[in-house]
Amino acid sequence: MALILENVSLAIDRHQILEQISFKLPIGQSLVVLGNSGAGKSKLLEVVAGLISNQGGRIIFAGQDIGALSPQERKIGFVFQDYALFPNLTAEANILFGLQARHAPVREQDRWLKAVSIELKIDHLLKRFPAELSGGQQQRVALARCMVLRPDVLLLDEPLSALDAASRERLALLMKKIQKKYRVTMLYVTHDHNEARYMGDQVLVIDQGRAVQMGRPEEIFARPVSRFVAHFTATRNILPGRIKERCGDGMALVKVAGCQLLSTSFPARGEDVWVCMRPEHLSLIGALPDISNELSNEISGETFDKTSGDNLISGYRICQIIPQSGAAVLVELMRRGERLMVFASSRRIENQGLLSNTEVELAVAARHVHCLPRQPEDIYCRPE
Amino acid sequence: MKISAFSAFMTLIVLLAGLFFSSPFAALLNSFAAADSLGQLFNRQIFIVVTTSLVTALLATGLAAVVGTVLGYHFTFRKKAGGRWLKTFFSLPLVLPPSAAGYMLLLAFGRYGLIGAPLYQAFSLQIMFTTAALVLAQFFVITPLMMQAASSAFQQVPESLVKASHSLGANEYTTFVKVLLPLSRPVLVAGVITAFARAIGEFGATMLVAGRLKTIPIMIYVKAMGGDAGVADGLSLLLVLLSFMVLLLVNFLGEKR
Repeated sequence: MALILENVSLAIDRHQILEQISFKLPIGQSLVVLGNSGAGKSKLLEVVAGLISNQGGRIIFAGQDIGALSPQERKIGFVFQDYALFPNLTAEANILFGLQARHAPVREQDRWLKAVSIELKIDHLLKRFPAELSGGQQQRVALARCMVLRPDVLLLDEPLSALDAASRERLALLMKKIQKKYRVTMLYVTHDHNEARYMGDQVLVIDQGRAVQMGRPEEIFARPVSRFVAHFTATRNILPGRIKERCGDGMALVKVAGCQLLSTSFPARGEDVWVCMRPEHLSLIGALPDISNELSNEISGETFDKTSGDNLISGYRICQIIPQSGAAVLVELMRRGERLMVFASSRRIENQGLLSNTEVELAVAARHVHCLPRQPEDIYCRPE
Repeated sequence: MKISAFSAFMTLIVLLAGLFFSSPFAALLNSFAAADSLGQLFNRQIFIVVTTSLVTALLATGLAAVVGTVLGYHFTFRKKAGGRWLKTFFSLPLVLPPSAAGYMLLLAFGRYGLIGAPLYQAFSLQIMFTTAALVLAQFFVITPLMMQAASSAFQQVPESLVKASHSLGANEYTTFVKVLLPLSRPVLVAGVITAFARAIGEFGATMLVAGRLKTIPIMIYVKAMGGDAGVADGLSLLLVLLSFMVLLLVNFLGEKR
């Protein structure tokens, strides 16, 4: 039992918006559709909702082809980016709009209004008009308006993009809870990789209307299939490299940025590669020459041993330390024009007295050195 | 304080325009006061003329409100091939000389006209030179106005609201009644008021189809040409006041929105 899209395409005014999108999402799971602005993410949701007719593909839910049904016949809830609450109606009338349009009995309307408004903590806001609600409250009303219809599929189009950081966190938690509680199949559109990581059981990356990768979030983030996906999932270290030797034990020796690294993830053929290393997978061991033999990375919780075969990178100097949320910092390191970005804890930076221009040593596990095929025509733009 | 040449030029243009546009109104007030026009307005003939104007304008506006709104909806949401051509066609009366519009209506609905002839032969029904002809002429002229008002009103409703309505299970009719109409109401009402003002002031087309019937603009023409300044002044002032109030109301609605 799944939501299946088969070769869904869409062209508007001879402009191809979606091209042969296919995926299979088990019922009750959430799929985050991740992509740039204009990649076709929102249009994909509109096609699934039936607001735009799909051109040629099939949309199947629980074995039934729903592609030809009108939006009214599909049991699909849609939360829009701007919430799309009717400004002339109270929160209550907004929530009941769908039930009334479907001629639900009054008793049922009351029951669901009460249940969902309590669940979403908006029962005290029902008599207010949308203009009298905060962004977060409007979002809850929009979500309630869909949930009272008990949809099979819930579509959310960048629902958190217009909210402040605190509201985003609260609502993300709430949506995840609601989705799991009601086991509703969810398509969640965003361009924020952090949201994708948290909200999705699966992630689908879209580029210019084409699906480029789908998988579990950890797979997508650890093993991007292209430089675009790597860049879009915030793999901040994407460097041109060359495979020097395929060792035969599932390892390859890669020459990158003046050093040689072991990698367990590399293409079967070709020598030129993009070497991708996520900032959270790089460990800032400490200032040279005072390097201990075994140090823990407080971010990933891993232990590196210099003798174990994990990679050590040296010769980089701290360029700047950028505070992040919580106790983390992003450290920019430079060596002969090559840049690396590393997450560290601010406590470690403080304890070790790491300052700008301090030379440091880094460690990265071979399994976190991910190599992508690089075409000769790929242009390497050194980051500013 | 130094005044720039540009600022002086702008002020001069505003002053000259003000002088030009206020001169007819000043002349009307002057003539109205001199001719003791108020007294001449209170007679049966003028009462019939004003009543005819109001009744025909109200009927034409009511019809145009319905048809114009439907056309506006059609051209906003049901974009089909050739829609642009069709919308341009329906907008033609906006720019057509009213006398040409009246003449064409005569050709279509006159006793020997394209539609008028069969109607007369089948039912002995004559439209031209009756109150119905006045309504028809005004309706022909103001419907495009209403269509454009409705079109812009519907375009101002965020697309996501219409999509939200459909995704919640509302059909086209429910979305129209529960979402589009309430949210477009101020612009639609402004459109209706403007259309009414245009209908009551319609002269060219009504003149050709009116026969012996007279509306306020026709009466002004007849009296002004006949040298009866008193009635012409009084009726002109009445129309000026009516138009002013209409514009005031439209502006008020615009601000409220």
